[in-house]
Formats: sequence, C-alpha cells, structure tokens
Amino acid sequence: MFKKILFATSATEASDHAARVAFNMATTLKAHINLFHVLGVPTRGFSQVVLDVKTKEKVEIDDEYIKWVEDEVKTYYANQLTDGIDASIKVAVGFPHREILRQAREIEPDLIVMGGSTGDESDSVYKATTGSTLQRVAKAAQCPIMVVNRPAASFWGGMSSIVFGTDFSKASDKAFDFALKAAGELGCEMNIFHALDISSSHMGFTLSQDEIEERIRKAYRVIRSRYVSKMEKKSNFSMDVWEGIPYVEIVKYAREKHADLIIMAHNSRKLDGDAPKIGSNMEQVIVRAGCPVISINR
Amino acid sequence: MPEGIFCNKKPVETEEELTALLGDTSGTQYYKEMKELDVDSKLLWTTIQNTCKSRIRTWLEICAHCGMCADSCFLYLVNDRDPKQVPAYKIQSTLGEIVKRKGKVDNEFMRMAMETAWAKCTCCNRCGMYCPHGIDMGIMFGYLRGLLYQQGFVPWEMKIGAGMHRVYRAQMDVSEEEFVETFQWMVEEYEDDYVGLTVPVDVENADIMYTVNAREVKHYPEDLAEAAILFHAAGENWTIPSKGWELTSLAMFAGDWAACKMQVESVYEAMERLKPKRMIGTECGHAHRATVVEGPYWAGRKDGRPPVESIHYIEWLAEALREGKLKIDPSKRIKQPVTLQDSCNYVRNHGLRETAREIVSYIVEPGYFRDMSPRKEHNFCCGGGGGFNGIGLFRPQRNKGLITKRDQIIATGAELVLAPCHNCWDAIRDLEEEYEIGIKWSFLKPLVISMLELPDHMKPEE
Amino acid sequence: MYEFITGFMFWLSLGVCLAGMLIRTVLYFRGLAWNLDRVAYKAYPKDGFNGAMRSIYKWLLPFGTHGWRKQPFMTVIFFCFHIGAVIVPLFLVAHNLFLEKKTGLSLFTINNSVADFLTWLVVASAILIVLRRIALPEVRIMTTWYDYLIILISVLPFITGLMARYEVGNYNFWLLAHILSGEILLLAIPFTKLSHVFLFFASRAQLGMDYGIKRGGLKGTKMAW
Ligand code: SF4
Ligand code: SF4
Repeated sequence: MFKKILFATSATEASDHAARVAFNMATTLKAHINLFHVLGVPTRGFSQVVLDVKTKEKVEIDDEYIKWVEDEVKTYYANQLTDGIDASIKVAVGFPHREILRQAREIEPDLIVMGGSTGDESDSVYKATTGSTLQRVAKAAQCPIMVVNRPAASFWGGMSSIVFGTDFSKASDKAFDFALKAAGELGCEMNIFHALDISSSHMGFTLSQDEIEERIRKAYRVIRSRYVSKMEKKSNFSMDVWEGIPYVEIVKYAREKHADLIIMAHNSRKLDGDAPKIGSNMEQVIVRAGCPVISINR
Repeated sequence: MPEGIFCNKKPVETEEELTALLGDTSGTQYYKEMKELDVDSKLLWTTIQNTCKSRIRTWLEICAHCGMCADSCFLYLVNDRDPKQVPAYKIQSTLGEIVKRKGKVDNEFMRMAMETAWAKCTCCNRCGMYCPHGIDMGIMFGYLRGLLYQQGFVPWEMKIGAGMHRVYRAQMDVSEEEFVETFQWMVEEYEDDYVGLTVPVDVENADIMYTVNAREVKHYPEDLAEAAILFHAAGENWTIPSKGWELTSLAMFAGDWAACKMQVESVYEAMERLKPKRMIGTECGHAHRATVVEGPYWAGRKDGRPPVESIHYIEWLAEALREGKLKIDPSKRIKQPVTLQDSCNYVRNHGLRETAREIVSYIVEPGYFRDMSPRKEHNFCCGGGGGFNGIGLFRPQRNKGLITKRDQIIATGAELVLAPCHNCWDAIRDLEEEYEIGIKWSFLKPLVISMLELPDHMKPEE
Repeated sequence: MYEFITGFMFWLSLGVCLAGMLIRTVLYFRGLAWNLDRVAYKAYPKDGFNGAMRSIYKWLLPFGTHGWRKQPFMTVIFFCFHIGAVIVPLFLVAHNLFLEKKTGLSLFTINNSVADFLTWLVVASAILIVLRRIALPEVRIMTTWYDYLIILISVLPFITGLMARYEVGNYNFWLLAHILSGEILLLAIPFTKLSHVFLFFASRAQLGMDYGIKRGGLKGTKMAW
C-alpha cells in the first residue's frame, strides 16, 4: 500500500515529528522515502536570487549551493539515514506547494508526509499566493497527504486505532476506501465518525433537541448503508455520531478512542486566501489532533 | 585579457555556454573580466554610422539643456534630485559622448555607460512626454543598450536572459515539452473544480492563440490554469502553440536585437502555422511591447503589426466582461480600497489607458477604487522596469527606485494593488518585502475567478 | 561697409539660412528609418500626420501640455522669449521697410511700442533664462559654454537693436552691430543648436507620428501631452 513515500521537509525542527513518522513507516513497510526540500523561493523577476526559506537570506543559486543544501539535509537526518533505509534526497527551488506537487507528479508517491506548519507564512513572498502550502498541497495532490503536527504517540506499524471522519461527501467515500484498506493492512480498529454540525453559523438557526436526534439517527443509517455494508470482513469497528462543531468533536472523539491516525477527506474547494491560519475544518483538526492526520482528496 | 571567458562580445548561443555563465555565481568573474574588456571603437563607430539616423542625431543635437525633463524621471526625483540623474544629462554624457568622440571611448567609460543605461534608466519613456522638443531619452537608452551589448558591456543577468532566448526561445530554461506538459498538469489539477477544463494544443484556425511568460510555467503555473478557466468560462475557442508560446523578451532589455528578432519570429511562425483569429498574451507589459509593439519591426514587417491581430490580456478581459461572456457575481466584487498600476509598456507605449479601468468598473464595488497620481500614460514606472528588477549588481539602486511607487501607493490609501504586468507585479512584491507597507497585489485573473459566476456546465456536481 | 553688410552679406546670410533650413528639413525626414526608428511612418500616413500635428500644436500652446503646466516659471519665460524672438524680427516696421527696399515685399507690421515692449521682454527673459541656468543644479550640470554662446547669438540682435533704437552713443555703430549680429544669427541657424527653430517642428512631428502610429494612435488613443 505504501511503496513510495514523499517526505516534504523543511529540514528543521518544524518537520521533526513528521520525520519520525515518515522514517518509521519507511523502515517498517520497507518503502522508499524521498526526502524533498524546497530551499527557497525565487525573488526578483528573472534574477538568480532566491530567498532561502531557512535562513531568510537572499542567496544566489548555483549547482554548488544546491549540492551544499543537499548535504545539509543529509546531515540533519544522519541518524535516520541508516544503511537499511531506501532513501533519496532532492532539493528544489520554487514556491513550496508548487514544487512539492511537481515532485509528486514526477515520482508518483503513495503518500506525502508533511510537517504541520512550514514556518512563517506571513512573509511577503507567500502572501501573494492564496492559502498555505499545506492547504494547496492537500487540495491538489493525487495521493493521500499525512500531516504530523505533534509528536505521535505511536508509530506506523504499531497502530491499533484509526478514526475515519466523514461528512458524507464523495471525497469522504474515497477516504473511506483508503481507511478501510489501511485498517485491514495494519490490522487495527476502525472507528467511523460523523459530527453533526450544529454551529449556528452553518445552519443559520438553532435546532431543537428532537431535530438533532432525528438527524443523528439519519446519520447512523447513512453510515450503515454506505460504509458498514462494505466491511463484511471486518469485525473490529465502531461507529459514532456526535453533535457539535465538527473539528472539535472529531478531535475529542479521537482522543477518546486513543486514535493513532485520523483519516479525512479534504473538502474545501476554495482556498481561504485571507485566513490561511484559521483555514478549513481539516486544518483545524490538524492543529488540534494528537496524532497524524491523513487527508484525502481523490 | 581583452576578451574574457564569460564577458566578451559574443552572445551566448548554446546550452553549455549558458550553464557555464550561470555557474559564475553573481557574475563575479564576469564583472572582473569586464574591467579588461577592450572597446572595439571601429565597430562602435561603424554601427553608429549605420544605425544612428536623423531622429537620434537630431535629438542629441537640439537638446536645449533646459532641464525640463528632470522632474519627469522618477529616478531623478527619488535620488534627491541628483543632477546626474537628469535624463538629458544621462544620455548626453553617455550616448552623446560616444557619438561626439566617434566611438573612441575607453573601458571605464563603457562601464559607466552600462551603469547609466541599466541602473539609471528603465526605458519607461516618461521623459519623452515632458520634453518640449519631443526628445525621448528612453528610446535613446534602448539604442545605447544595443551598442553596449554589442561591445559586451552588459549586466550579467541580461546576457543570460538574452542567451536564454537564443537557446530556448524563452526567457527561462523551459522547453516546448515542459510548457505543454505543465499546462496539461495544471488543467488536470483544476478540472475537478472546473468541469470540462482542457487545454487545446496546436489547434488550427482557433479564435484565440494564447501566449505566456515562461516564469508562469516555471514558478506560477496556476496562472496557466487560471487562463484556461477564464477562456473556458467565456466559451472561447482557444489554443496554445507548442512552439512559439513565449511572449516575453529579455533580449529587448539586453539590447540584443538579433535575439529579439529570433524570439519574436518564433511567435509569428506559430501564428502563421496555426492561423488563429487573434493572439492574446498573458498579463505582462514588456512582453506585450516586445511581441506586439516592437516585434513587427524586428521581424521586418513594414506595416508594424504582427501577422494576426494581437491584443493584451486586459483587452480580452475587458471585452469578455463587457459582452457578458464572463459574468461577475456583484456581491463578490472587491470591497476594499484598491488601486491600479498602469504599466508603461502598454499604457504609455500602446495607448491602453482606459482598458484596465473598464475592468475595474466591473470588478470593484463602486467607491473603492483609488487612482494613483500621476496616472494613466503619465504614471511613473513601477521602479523595476527595463530589466532593473533582475540585475543583482544594481539591486541597491533598484530598491531606491521602488520608493516612488511605494509613496504613490501609500498616497492612494489602497490595500490592494492591481498589477496586470509581471514586471510591475514583481516590483510591487519586492517593495512590500523591502519597505513593508502592508499591501497586497494581484494579477487580474485570480481576482476575476474569485468573483466569477461559473456557467452551469463548469460547476462540479454535488 | 554698410553697403556690404546690407547687400552681399544680407543676401548671403538669408540665403544660407533658408537653404540650410530647407535642406536640413528634407534630410531629416529622409533620414527617418521605419525599421530603425521602429515606426511605420509610411504605412499610416494619415494617423502619422494627425499625431504629428497634435504633438506640435499642443506644445505651441502656453500651458498646453503637462510639461508646460509642471514648470510654470519656465513656461512663462520661455514663451515671453520665443514670442518676442519670432514676432519682432519678422514684423517690426523698420525690418519691413528694409525688406521692401530690398525685395519689394513686406509683411504685416506691428506697432512700434508693442515691438519695444516685446524686445525688452526678450532681453529680460533671456537674462532670466541665464539666471535659471545658473541657479538650478539640474540645468547647470548640463550647461556648457556653447549654450551661453547660443543665447548670446540669439539676444545680441535684440540688445544692439535696443541700443540703436534709443540711440545710446553712436547710432551708426549700433545699427551696424545690429545688422551684423542679425546676420550671424541667420548664418548660425542651420549649423548650430539654433537649428531647433525648424527642427523643433521636425522632432515634435516625429514623436507625434510615433505616438500617432505605434504607441496607441492606431488603437484610437490620443496621447495626453
Ligand atoms: S527637456 Fe528636452 S531639451 Fe530640455 S534638457 Fe531635457 S531633453 Fe533636452
Ligand atoms: S525613460 Fe524613464 S527612467 Fe529613463 S530617463 Fe526617461 S524618465 Fe528616466
């Protein structure tokens, strides 16, 4: 299921948690890991000057510099890059989201792993492009994206509980197929979860308790017909529907279930240009969840 | 060492030479070699005799040294009215001297002339509007750049840029395959959200042939998708040429006229091959000027026009909005103070002063638009034109030059700057980075898409 | 002496001036190269002509262009100088009497007190122009002895004319000096920067054609000079 992992890294602490998960996966699943680092954003029209994302300095790019950065990345991950691991390193110049997507298109990985936040994105170089790197990669990538924002309690392979959050969209169906496959492969518990959105901003009016209960019942029915029917072979699963603000509920639920992984569909069609920090439901989950989150688009 | 390995009179012709030149980080060795480079006075003088005809000679002769052009030049104003920045002084002390001395000038003079031609003038042509005699120093600096280029006295990035056009027929190392591939990739990436999105390649007799700036392919390919979305939404019958798709010309900034000709002919060949009704170029100013305004002359076209009618992106956009081919959701119009950067290259130099304003009337909520002062054809250069943006050696001068635009923008009180020109867009981005005045800036495509009423057939189901 | 400078010298200088202007104007326009200038002059004669006329006309109007409005002081002294410098030599009664005697032709003439006033205006403006040259760093930097020489050549006839007019000292001396300086001026016109008296129109016409054809004219945009 995971033969090739694209690990998009900043080669700084910000990516450390993601690195741990990515390398663990690569080792356990005997997958190839491609360490991909975007070293800088081109500035200044057609000049050769690039803004180094790490040092925030303007540097002139040539082959030597790229080689040097490659070595830096190698040194940073010296501990993880042991003999047994099948790894490659690639350094590129450009806007991070675009280059990650370009690399993904080139090597067609089964999974992209990213850190939670790639630093200060209020930089003027980023401001002109809408949405954060994460949002843009999650929106456009052809494969699942795993985001690791906090130290993951357990690691891939030692997984016992997956939470699959659904909003019943088409993309969620895709995410379900993926979650089911992963749960099967990893032999862990599958927890299907739906949150009934009762935040007034979404509905425009408050629901009575009866209505809420009616909707919850309906949601269970949908889960049964859509998902449970496809799970003949699986016995260790559960399903729940809670009401509340979706991203809060799913994070609470994941904690209760001791989830090692949350799988969700990335649904937001539009990029929130003005508020990349607040972002979509997805991003809220990422910031809050105590475990890695996989986002699936298609 | 008269002719250097990197710095010499020979243009870059091959990929290997290009890579080697690029490998000379910041042009360190290049500029060192330049100090030794000989001036071929004979060649210089013959060239002048062959190409400097009555227009420029008269300009040089009748200049009254009255200084009325001083205030017109943003570089003069922003450099604390340094008399050495007066347009007439700048040209008289360079081109004027070369002509006077019949080409007998030395290396040091040529390096001074190079700095003047690329760091003290952006070829914005504003001064020409303020001289009573109609002396256009911008044009003369363009001419001077050609002489300097021929002698090898040209900034490193300019030599590379011109070389790119010679090798790739594009301003960056983007091949024909990469262009088409990237366009297709972008369309795939966006087709979920915009149903039916395609990119027709090399279709003959289409209504529109679309050409771009290689930077879009390389760094902001979203722009390609956005163009596709808008053409598709407007129901246009459009195509891209797999060859001859590059609208820009760094060769024009470099003064490499031979490369200018090669570049523009590649686009004209595409026009002749595909026979579109019209050619539309992306939101770029100098590119429009190179391919549509100056290009016909490089290619030797006596009527001064490209083989097929060629218009700027904003002309198409204004037309599509006017005719209702694209519909704007009025509730989504821009509701924040917004201003517009008029690009010298197609406003002053191609008369499109009302076009972007018409677009503004469709996409900005009434009451939110703030004009710059001066504006339209009298607007100042963004500060990064004519190649200024890209030259590392002259970065401090360029950053200083940005102050004019910064202050013009601040005076409007706008939070968003519409910049339908790659050079202006870059300059405004850089001025925000340099001076942090808290503005945003944008091309028109993404803004229009954000407020578009999509035709039903393009809406994703759900 | 008087005979010589009002006879042979007069004809010579006038002839050289007129022929020089004519030849240089023809050469100017023949030297315009559509491909080097990158303006398709011949392809759009009508647009070119309209553009040229607009460009000349706007700049002949005091405060008619952005450039003039931007520099009011310069505009005032410039027009004071040039109006006087064109009108007085052509339409002064004495000049026309002289001309009639020589050629049998004469032009419309102006009132003598108007002529006096204009002449003083020319001299005063010339002084201000010189002072401006010295005072403003952006003009000073470009100014050479040649610029002063040109100013001198062009005002000398006016100064000597005034001297003769008010009979300061020896009238005949001033008269001779006046005629001589006038002839020097005529001779200088085709060969010096004074060629701008006709090349101004040529150069303005050229830029007008450029804008009228290439830079927006064909798009229907009239340049806001
Ligand atoms: S305004 Fe014209 S005539 Fe006066 S100094 Fe400038 S270029 Fe020369
Ligand atoms: S073309 Fe523009 S930058 Fe160059 S001298 Fe004239 S006003 Fe200044």
